[in-house]
Amino acid sequence: MTNSIAELEDAACIFIIGSNTTEAHPLVANRILRAKQKGAKLIVADPRKIHIAEFADIHLSHRLGSDVALINGIMHVILAEGWEAKDYIASRTEGFEALERVVRGYTPEKVSGITGVPAEQIRAVAEAYARSASSSIVYAMGITQHTTGVDNVKSLANLAMLCGRIGVECGGVNPLRGQNNVQGACDMGALPNVLPGYQKVTDEAARKKFEQAWGVALPSEVGLTVMKMMNGLHAGSVRALYVMGENPAMSDPNSHHVREALSRAELLVVQDITLTETTEYAHAVLPGVSFAEKDGTFTNTERRVQRVRKGIEPVGDSREDGWILCELSRRLGHAMELEPASELMDEIAGLTPSYGGMRYDRLEAFGLQWPCPDAEHPGTKYLHKDKFARGRGLFHAIEYQPPAEACDDEYPMQLTTGRSFVHFHTGTMTRRSPSLDEEQKDPFVQMHPEDAEAHGISPPGQVKVITRRGSISLEAKLSARIPKGMLFIPFHFAEAAANLLTIDALDPIAGIPEYKVCAARVERE
Amino acid sequence: MRYETIPTTCSYCGCGCEVLLQVLDGELIGVLPSKASPINEGSLCIKGWNLHEFVVSERRLRKPMLRKGGSLVETSWEEALDEVAGRLAKIKSESGPDSIAALSSAKCTNEENYLMQRFVRAAIGTNNVDHCARL
Amino acid sequence: MRELLKTRVAEMLREGRVDGVVGLIESHGEPLPYLFTADDTAALERISTGELQGRLAELIPGVVRYPLGKILTAVARKHPDKRFGVMCRACDERVVFGLFQNLQLDPDKVEILGLPCKEELARACSCPAPAPRSAIVDQPSREAWDRADLERIDAMALDERFAFWVEELGRCIKCYGCRNACPVCFCDVCTLQDDGLVKKGEIPAELPAFQLTRAWHMVGRCVDCGLCQEACPMDIPIRTIYRKVRSIVGELFDYFPGERDGGKSPLEQLGDGSFPIQ
Ligand code: SF4
Ligand code: SF4
Ligand code: SF4
Repeated sequence: MTNSIAELEDAACIFIIGSNTTEAHPLVANRILRAKQKGAKLIVADPRKIHIAEFADIHLSHRLGSDVALINGIMHVILAEGWEAKDYIASRTEGFEALERVVRGYTPEKVSGITGVPAEQIRAVAEAYARSASSSIVYAMGITQHTTGVDNVKSLANLAMLCGRIGVECGGVNPLRGQNNVQGACDMGALPNVLPGYQKVTDEAARKKFEQAWGVALPSEVGLTVMKMMNGLHAGSVRALYVMGENPAMSDPNSHHVREALSRAELLVVQDITLTETTEYAHAVLPGVSFAEKDGTFTNTERRVQRVRKGIEPVGDSREDGWILCELSRRLGHAMELEPASELMDEIAGLTPSYGGMRYDRLEAFGLQWPCPDAEHPGTKYLHKDKFARGRGLFHAIEYQPPAEACDDEYPMQLTTGRSFVHFHTGTMTRRSPSLDEEQKDPFVQMHPEDAEAHGISPPGQVKVITRRGSISLEAKLSARIPKGMLFIPFHFAEAAANLLTIDALDPIAGIPEYKVCAARVERE
Repeated sequence: MRYETIPTTCSYCGCGCEVLLQVLDGELIGVLPSKASPINEGSLCIKGWNLHEFVVSERRLRKPMLRKGGSLVETSWEEALDEVAGRLAKIKSESGPDSIAALSSAKCTNEENYLMQRFVRAAIGTNNVDHCARL
Repeated sequence: MRELLKTRVAEMLREGRVDGVVGLIESHGEPLPYLFTADDTAALERISTGELQGRLAELIPGVVRYPLGKILTAVARKHPDKRFGVMCRACDERVVFGLFQNLQLDPDKVEILGLPCKEELARACSCPAPAPRSAIVDQPSREAWDRADLERIDAMALDERFAFWVEELGRCIKCYGCRNACPVCFCDVCTLQDDGLVKKGEIPAELPAFQLTRAWHMVGRCVDCGLCQEACPMDIPIRTIYRKVRSIVGELFDYFPGERDGGKSPLEQLGDGSFPIQ
């Protein structure tokens, strides 16, 4: 998030897009509803009438994957009305003319045709967003999990910059991270192209610094992303895969392809706390521990580095994940000292500029938000205050592109996936939690009552959902909250794994799969 | 007889709620939301309130396992680690470090992610490290 | 107050009157629930009344309260032979008496250390009775029950009232926090999770089945401590519902759960007396 969670409470306008906030990020949703009670305008853009949309002043039910067109349409109105932040654009941004040229083509009427949103609503949203005292954008995986994910994110940044909403309190573009430490994993360089602190592996000076600290020469070529690793396993160019605390057999799109890849691995090592769909293919399974059995830090969605503290001893003969890695590293000839977590953080701080001032004694009582470059720095509530990281904020002129897979006669419906308020991710944890399992035991597909009727489905009825990748059987839940022609499946359930259906078309830049839309059909069982 | 509460951070979503682990005689009996936390201000969602349940689940792995004759068999740490390290070393020497890849975890701590990428880059010698951030 | 509390706890433990004292300790920069025992006297130096210090005091109004009575119940269940002290504001004290009345705690094994609350806190809590009966210091008697919330809603016309609650309860994300935080919710099997009564797997929690079911269960039980509402992430005024229930029970049966002289429980007054609670 460019801004902080608590700031949302005082925003005058909040624009949520691609985030089922009350279900997936409840403790952010409460701030938003508080803002609403204080008089904020709430705009929710989501094809489904999700829970938080009940409280929206404007609910836009745009077609799956039409986000770029929608945002361009909003910007079109803002420019046509002269509501843009002219001084801000002139003093803090560049690339405005190119944006203007592209956006000119996106009249509300044309956008209405692409998105299915009435032109009037597009105008109303433009007015609310541009003319409120402060406006904040909140988004989640509904924006990123598309072949146009990066375009979507850039479009939101365009909109925010156009109205001077970045680098100010209660504004910003605020992605809600799906998993507790996605932010931290990225910050720590668990990415193929960057070392900790987003220092490029291709940057010699950065590499030098780490080479000195670790006493070993480091590779300079960008490595493989998850999907490329899977392709490498298929092709035989990758022979071994080490997986720590992830469940790709379940979480990755087009699971058949992934499972096939995993089964071809000559060596698959899985370090996890329970058996998972992925361990079925493993040659070695190493039991790590849960968050309750170790010391460390997580970094939340507002960049806050927070303490994780050990409460109990490791269960059985499981071992701390750090210990396992150090033992293996030593055996491979690179000694990594197993230090107490606090000293590891000192090492990280020394190598990662944005974490420079993170020390365990400073993290007591609710942590610090990065960037926090030195021991005196109080942490950063919101980013880009006086200037952007790159100097001037760059507008990107972006044209709308339809999703990778269009509907046709054989697969006439659109399928999307997401979360339920009860479960988390692949269910490795939540479905093993008796209370949560009891709240929601079985997989389901949400569909519109009229679609159900057209297919002769009356609940409680089992249906089969089929895509070009596979098919699964599950219960149909009828709801008018979902538009006609659309299906929604939560992806937590192994016995009806949504990702057997999803498409592995990727965003060309970020490599994010298009979980949020593919073509499907439904049949009565 | 000992009861204490240890403040820590919820391991589900990215909100980062602070929870207190309730530990009675060394056993995790439940969690409470931190009342003083400016993040969650004494509240949690349904997942957070049940955070302790998966920790103490019967299905937790308790010993390392190696696949022998088609099925996973429990073994000692010594054997498991030697076996894994040996096979990684062999593949590395035969096909080079880039024939090995690793997935780190958005569920693990910063320190563990740091160690993982260091392990992959420094001990194995490849940048083939990623995690499921995109999911 | 803190010093006095510390002295009293030290005394109880030293004299062996109790085996442990449930209270709050200042740890990692915040007050946290803790069991003080005789073998760790160092911990006593950090005993806390729940008042926040420094920057936290600005962020979080009032005092930090935890369901200490519920925690005591959990510890006492595991250690039935032990004797306990428990730090109590007046609300916690009502909880403990409520748990005595419902046979969840043994009065002979529990000693209360009552902390009176300041006037402004009592007002902020809209506290029905802010003076604990087992206070460790002398205290002025205080009348503080601010019934403004009840009166406001009672004054509404029925349909307006209904609309108000539909709107408020519509925010519920079914975290069960109200139940989990409730110190007098102690059932092993919870009716809120009964498929026949409340639909599962949907938010908001089924309207109004979830809230009404919980309200029935607060009859003769709610001690009006307000911990439920403090736990509600969605700022739903649920305490007001239970207060209403509490005031009805009070009017009909002259029974106020958690108050020592609160009369006979309605359950004991109903029926022909052939089903005594014991
Ligand atoms: S308690 Fe719920 S909202 Fe808070 S971090 Fe955990 S999962 Fe997220
Ligand atoms: S509810 Fe009453 S007794 Fe409890 S903290 Fe508030 S004022 Fe004190
Ligand atoms: S605490 Fe609030 S949100 Fe949670 S279940 Fe109770 S009423 Fe609903």
